Amino acid sequence: MSEVTYGVWDGVVYDNRGGVNGEGPHFPGLSNFDEFDDGNPIRAFVADRGFIIFDSTVSLLDTFHRQLAQAANESCGKCTPCRIGTVLVRDALDAMRRGEPSPLDLDQIFALADQMTQTSMCGLGQTCSRALRAAIREFRDVFEDEIRTAPAPSQHAMSYMTAPCIEACPSRINVPRYIDYIKDGKPAHSLGVILQKYPMAATCGRVCVRFCEMACRRKFVDEAVGIKTLKRYVADQQTGPNALVFGRDLIREPLGANMRVAVVGAGPAGISCAYHLLLHGYRVDILEAMEEAGGMAARGIPSYRLPKDVLHAETDVITALGGRFLFNKALGRDFSLDDLFARGYRAVFLALGCQEGTHLGIENEDPTLQGYRSGVGFLLQVHDHVAGALRVALEGDVVVVGGGNVAMDCARSALRMGAASVHVLYRRTRPDMPADAGEVQAAEAEGVVFHFLTNPKRIIAENGRVVGVELMDMAAGEPDAEGRSKVEPVPGSERTVSCNTLIAAIGQQVREGVISPEDGIAFDRWNCIRVNPDDLSTSRTGVFAGGDCATGPSTLIHAMAAGLKATRSIDDHIRLGRVRFRPRSRMRRLLNDNTMLAEDAVELPVKPQYRAHHPELDAAVRSQMFEEVEQTISIEAAYREANRCMRCYRIYSVITERAIPEGVGR
Amino acid sequence: MNAETQAKVVRGSINGVAVTSSTDETILECARRHAIHIPTLCELHDIDHAPGTCRVCLVEIETQGSSKTLTATACNTPMQEGLVVRTRTPKLREMQRLQVELLLADHDQDCATCIRHGNCDLQDVAQFVGLKTNRFFDPERVAKRPVDAASPALIRNMQRCIRCQRCIAICREGQGVDALIQVGSGLDTAVGLRYGLDQQHSACVTCGQCVLVCPTGALGERDEIERVLDYLYDPNIVTVVQFAPAVRVGFGEEFGLPPGTNVEGQIITALRRLGADIVLDTNWGADLVVMEEATELLHRLKAGERPTFTSCCPAWINFAERHYPDILPLLSTTKSPQQCVGIVAKTYLPAKRGIDPSRVRVVSIMPCTAKKDEVVRPQLSHDGMPEVDVVLTTREFARLLRREGLDLTTLEATTFDDPHMTEYSGAGAIFGTTGGVMEAAVRTLYHMVNGAELDTIELAQLRGFEGVRTAAVDLGQGAGVVKVAMCHGLKPTRQIVEAVRAGTVDLDFIEVMACPGGCVDGGGTLRSKKHYLQHAMKRREAIFAIDRNKNVRRSHHNTQVQDLYRDFLGAPHSDKAQALLHTHYTDRKIEMAHSVREIWQEIKMAGKVY
Repeated sequence: MSEVTYGVWDGVVYDNRGGVNGEGPHFPGLSNFDEFDDGNPIRAFVADRGFIIFDSTVSLLDTFHRQLAQAANESCGKCTPCRIGTVLVRDALDAMRRGEPSPLDLDQIFALADQMTQTSMCGLGQTCSRALRAAIREFRDVFEDEIRTAPAPSQHAMSYMTAPCIEACPSRINVPRYIDYIKDGKPAHSLGVILQKYPMAATCGRVCVRFCEMACRRKFVDEAVGIKTLKRYVADQQTGPNALVFGRDLIREPLGANMRVAVVGAGPAGISCAYHLLLHGYRVDILEAMEEAGGMAARGIPSYRLPKDVLHAETDVITALGGRFLFNKALGRDFSLDDLFARGYRAVFLALGCQEGTHLGIENEDPTLQGYRSGVGFLLQVHDHVAGALRVALEGDVVVVGGGNVAMDCARSALRMGAASVHVLYRRTRPDMPADAGEVQAAEAEGVVFHFLTNPKRIIAENGRVVGVELMDMAAGEPDAEGRSKVEPVPGSERTVSCNTLIAAIGQQVREGVISPEDGIAFDRWNCIRVNPDDLSTSRTGVFAGGDCATGPSTLIHAMAAGLKATRSIDDHIRLGRVRFRPRSRMRRLLNDNTMLAEDAVELPVKPQYRAHHPELDAAVRSQMFEEVEQTISIEAAYREANRCMRCYRIYSVITERAIPEGVGR
Repeated sequence: MNAETQAKVVRGSINGVAVTSSTDETILECARRHAIHIPTLCELHDIDHAPGTCRVCLVEIETQGSSKTLTATACNTPMQEGLVVRTRTPKLREMQRLQVELLLADHDQDCATCIRHGNCDLQDVAQFVGLKTNRFFDPERVAKRPVDAASPALIRNMQRCIRCQRCIAICREGQGVDALIQVGSGLDTAVGLRYGLDQQHSACVTCGQCVLVCPTGALGERDEIERVLDYLYDPNIVTVVQFAPAVRVGFGEEFGLPPGTNVEGQIITALRRLGADIVLDTNWGADLVVMEEATELLHRLKAGERPTFTSCCPAWINFAERHYPDILPLLSTTKSPQQCVGIVAKTYLPAKRGIDPSRVRVVSIMPCTAKKDEVVRPQLSHDGMPEVDVVLTTREFARLLRREGLDLTTLEATTFDDPHMTEYSGAGAIFGTTGGVMEAAVRTLYHMVNGAELDTIELAQLRGFEGVRTAAVDLGQGAGVVKVAMCHGLKPTRQIVEAVRAGTVDLDFIEVMACPGGCVDGGGTLRSKKHYLQHAMKRREAIFAIDRNKNVRRSHHNTQVQDLYRDFLGAPHSDKAQALLHTHYTDRKIEMAHSVREIWQEIKMAGKVY
């Protein structure tokens, strides 16, 4: 671990320029901070909370010029101090580092840095020159020496701007940027920001689990910004004559006919990967076992949350970009991985999903029992019912086991299918439920009955059909390593309830028989495909995997993020035979490993303004329908909601020994 | 609304003075209530606009239980229990000064050439903060800022913009037109028009409300004073000047008279002193419009064509053509009073007065920016000549008087002397305020249908000030009850248009005035610094007073209009009247298909994938 030579961090001044002599504060431990990439030591680091220098020869003028240049480039230009201040300070530091006459002296630079820090409107302006201010205040002598000896030798550097919401999003959507474009009155630009990362904005705007909102700092004022609501708003603007047009002109550089890639599975991971591969110029075929695109988004998410036409309008983008869907082609049944390579595909992306329901593992559990269904199996039936392909009628009482989003979808769908009552059993407490809180509230409002700390013990069947279930109470025990308390059955709490249908919605896995041993694909201990998390490569060269089949049942946004990651790896693999270093990913890990994005409170009073909500139909009406229950917010509500964003941007810069290798998508 | 959002009474202090406030009041509002001045620039209370972009209204605060001093913007920071506020510390004064200096770093410094010189919020605030230096100004940076001079009505000069966003707010939230957007980023942030279009070809309807809220000279009308001076000083040209109903009640303030003073007589004198050859009254044209429009309405009612929208307001015509072309068949074809005066002044008037019509130039003085746009409409020309040659807004008229050394307050009031186009009824006078066109029309409609006069002249049921008002008017046995609506401001107008298109309202006749309040608060009226529609009610009252003091209060009793029909047009809606006094509209809807590629080239973000 390199020692900090000098710096200021969280207001504490560190100065070991005369050697570490045991006096003065010792810098708290940094992890993973020695090298940026292999053999390339980090010489300096600048953040919102301060700066640290590991090498006394680092030029502060150049280092802070980098930081301010990034700030000037990213400033939204709305408030005075940041719009003008970043540019003036950048230009002054630039002149100083070159040894040219500077328009501003150090006192003036300090005054501007102070002005930006104290009076800017958003996080970018408030934080971008905080470290510079501290550096001039505490280490003015270093600046003065440098001015005397200028020009300074050039340094290798990288700057990275992010925000808590961006870091929380698996796809790293630039959330404040797309909210800004709404404020600016440019919803098409807003959508353009999202489309950089995946093609399914309207889908994501309806069903995303919203990691971004969990990280949103607006919650320190009132409640998180309605980021998903805004995403849906911009996506739904895309109708009529002013809608954005997808065309093959988007493809950067079309590649030769032999540059073909096969994507197995047309779910969110497969669609996202195909989209990016197409934009990179590849020829892409998507082989899908079913007869429609969308995967679990099509078949596993009920239409009252995600109408099929919305989803299909988005999966159609693949065709518009020249991709091909090959439906009813199932891996393991219709082709093998060897077949794909034999057909000339240069690489394969496996996005198979997890479609087999996990069993409860309780007494009398027999999947052939009438009335027993897995969660995912039930949702597929609901899908077919709504599509008109299969009449499914539910009657009597339904018990759903599980606390995730699939369990909620099952419960709310069961109501719509005619169940007399729907009961959800969950073995832990309500706050422990992995399901989206909004989904739980909606289910409750529609009449679903919840039983927490309750688990099934035995299925009661008569003549081959489910007639009831024996339950037990659970009691919370000691918290485990992750902070979740273990639960134990309470002896003697057994009781029986009658039901006609039992839906086991506790998890899913990759369907058996899809991958055969000859495919050469290794699995992990949870029966998921084993991948290298950095590049999504599998145990077989040229085969990559992502989405639920590699992670177990997860979210739409994780699957779509995997699609983009796989594209970068596949592109590198085909062109270079190796996967390149990704500076931005490295920067994210650096921030994450050292919890740089501290959840700092909002100091200044802000007027509370609670978030806009989707116009929703009455619970009694909506529990009967499979049409979409949430409506898009109005333009007025969108402008108001967008204005709640506080733009918590932060800029981080590193100075390194050598040049940082450029990777795809940096 | 839940309990958390309900305002609570709180106590704090400002500059050591104990204040009682509430959690839904900002520091700025609280300070103003206590007569403590905090400099502001982007904020505009009258339209509830506090975007916090200029960062000039800085105050120091200490929150309860914290000894830390924070700098906050007063305009959007709420009061809270125990908040200690200071507004005039040396540090704050220094920061405010620096903020204004930063604003001027990117602002055209040629104040003497600016239309707002001496009437500019930025100059005021620079004086308040005691600005002494201007270290950061870079003329090259400013010269690169765009000036959009494409529109015949409005000039948008980004070299003078301070990014207060008031224009965007009034266009988006006030008028619901949503033509103005934020463009660019960083140092190049500016106000622009949707889809990168210029002002003339955009969704802008030139209502000019943005000009009324602009704190600097960034937004303004196209200045046409030079052309008017050319006419006035050219002996071969017969300069005919008309002025609108609203101008006479919204002009005296410029010369220190109380708001709402009727300066009709002084304006006539001023125009004569300027060298106008013939002074006409647009009010006369309003009476003529009533005759044509009322006749047209009765024809349409008989034919079952309903509803009919009025057509006097050019910003409304632009709005219909740009945003709702499918309703154009519902618009009255009658030209506006300005255009009626123009065409009659170039045909009937020269014949009556023995003037060569080719020597006539018509100048209008209007409280309106869209009128400049109206006169260049191709369908409003006659024999290749525009019906009206130049429009001056009320603001330009004020500048013209100053340029010619005239002070309105020193001028004696005189009266019109043209015997053909200057008489007006009270009905013509009230065209300048919301509901006035409808009331004037109803007074005459009743007479046209029944051959008798309505008992009451002032129709209280038409006189409210809500954005949309509806009423049922009994026109007697001939026509029965007609359902009318009046809307002012384009946001309420959009509502009524949407309702008409959806078939959810049952109406016969709809008056639209694009500017809130009507022409008395039009986009060409005098600017009031730090206020929006400050004198609306006084001007409206003055207009009603003119009506009340008139002996003739119904358009069909205007003897000069009667003469026109007798000697020239025949009857309302005659073939000749239709040829000269009616027009048509064109679909000018904006449809722009953008590709994702174009958007990606425009978006700005770190880590762009493509």
